[in-house]
Amino acid sequence: MNLPRLYIAGSAAFAAVMVVLVFMVLMMSSWGAISSEGLGLFTHKWHPAGGEFGVLPMIFGSAAVTLIALTIATPLGLLAAIFTSELLNPAWRAPVKSALEILAGIPSIIYGLIGVAFFSIWIGNLFDLQSGRTILTAGILLAIMILPTIITLCDDALHNVPQKYRESATGLGLYKYEVVRDVLLPIAKTDITGAILLALGRALGETMAVMLVIGSIDRVPDPFFNVLEAGQSITSKLGREIAESSFGSVHFSALIFMSLILVAITVSLTSFTQYYFRREKRLVE
Amino acid sequence: MSNRALINAIFVNSARSATVLCGFVLTFLIGVIIWNGMNAMNIQFLLSASRNFGASGGILYQIIGSLLLVIMASILVLPVAIGTALFKSEYITSPTLFRISNTLIYSLNGIPSVTFGIFGLIFFVNVLGTGISWFVGSIILAIMMLPTIVLTTYQSINSIPSAYREAAYALGLTKWQVIWRVLLPQGIHGAITGLLIALARAIGETAPIMFIATAFSGINLPGALNDPVVTLPTHILALAQQATNPDALQNAWGASLVLLTLVFIFSISALFSRMHLKEISQR
Repeated sequence: MNLPRLYIAGSAAFAAVMVVLVFMVLMMSSWGAISSEGLGLFTHKWHPAGGEFGVLPMIFGSAAVTLIALTIATPLGLLAAIFTSELLNPAWRAPVKSALEILAGIPSIIYGLIGVAFFSIWIGNLFDLQSGRTILTAGILLAIMILPTIITLCDDALHNVPQKYRESATGLGLYKYEVVRDVLLPIAKTDITGAILLALGRALGETMAVMLVIGSIDRVPDPFFNVLEAGQSITSKLGREIAESSFGSVHFSALIFMSLILVAITVSLTSFTQYYFRREKRLVE
Repeated sequence: MSNRALINAIFVNSARSATVLCGFVLTFLIGVIIWNGMNAMNIQFLLSASRNFGASGGILYQIIGSLLLVIMASILVLPVAIGTALFKSEYITSPTLFRISNTLIYSLNGIPSVTFGIFGLIFFVNVLGTGISWFVGSIILAIMMLPTIVLTTYQSINSIPSAYREAAYALGLTKWQVIWRVLLPQGIHGAITGLLIALARAIGETAPIMFIATAFSGINLPGALNDPVVTLPTHILALAQQATNPDALQNAWGASLVLLTLVFIFSISALFSRMHLKEISQR
């Protein structure tokens, strides 16, 4: 085998080995907690010193934060996308899209800083709380973070509907609203779903911003829908505690187990989305 | 006004107000960073070391540290990414293998950034015993950058019409000569676009490097491969956690503005590079 061929096959093999290695390492490191705790991992109490490793509060926190973020960002983002794709003067579309793409690139640590300096204080004052670091604050911050992604992907989805559909629908005397509701949205539905699932994956895996504003207390709020209490998400738990736990302990292993759950969800979401919804030509975005 | 016209008017106006609201929020974000950042900004801030756990002094070594991490990551990732893209577009013939390679790349893209940090902590820092090391941080960032660069490079190579390949083979060129003379000159633009997009993301990443590559204070430049480094994102994190101290907060805004400027430089270059790429492929 000649050298160039060796290089090309070698680098592909190297890339593949890396991916497999990441999964193997996570699975092997979480095995300690799975074998010693078993179903005890799915309880409400996280108390490492007492040997209790219930991951439910963190799973609840991640789910709640993501749900809040999507509830805010999806309608807002979809409406804004309809505006940029269907109502905005086409000459403005390119600059708006570029601006959105750049906004999507603001590092999450900066969102975290803004959350700490503004949003948590506003939420604290608005609801008269002792501390504004709550599940709701984290949800709102996440909503803002995924907004540019949702707008730009939904805009692509709508814009890719061929012009003739709009023309025929308008020719039949439909109002803009009816064109969007009855013609464009049904056609673009798959791509829009894909966009939202992709945003969901991003929101679940987001660490820094959530970690700084969620309050970091390992409990399910009482009652559970009280999002004005501090909580903990999987990612914020990992960010806060992984450096404090000693390598090889059950504590460490239980943290890795949470990370494994998270990876399983986000990886299946992302590969599902990119595989089935997005066509080859737009994979890069 | 008829019922339909009324609903239409409500719809158009709510879409417009949603856009205005989004625009307002996003302008607020950028505005806050620029406004607060400018208050902290001066030559002294950019060119001096941080003192007093970051609450006073500047961010010179954080800037150098961040650039060092991503430049080393680029050097590590580029050859592997181009090789993988060539393998995907020129060597894979079996559809099954192609599907497997896609699944692997998308999985890598879907892994949350904090998980990469954990992987690095287990595999490099503990199992291989490297300790907290900036070089390990670069390796982890390189792994994170891989899927983006592979996909853009693959696209630009794959979009070269097969007539070019056939013409080159007809002239008697070997496979490697075709790759080197015909495919790579186009592919390299895709790789650079992908690299810039990936760099814009990598330089702002905090979660993957905070356990494995960085220290919060007390060091300037790493002396060896296995020394820790100080970076902008982890510096902002440290300062954000002492946000009750106005001096620390002020410096956090300054560091954020610098970080954002670096991200923008990379992402705007990526926009231009992509436009250039389009021009080439339309020739």
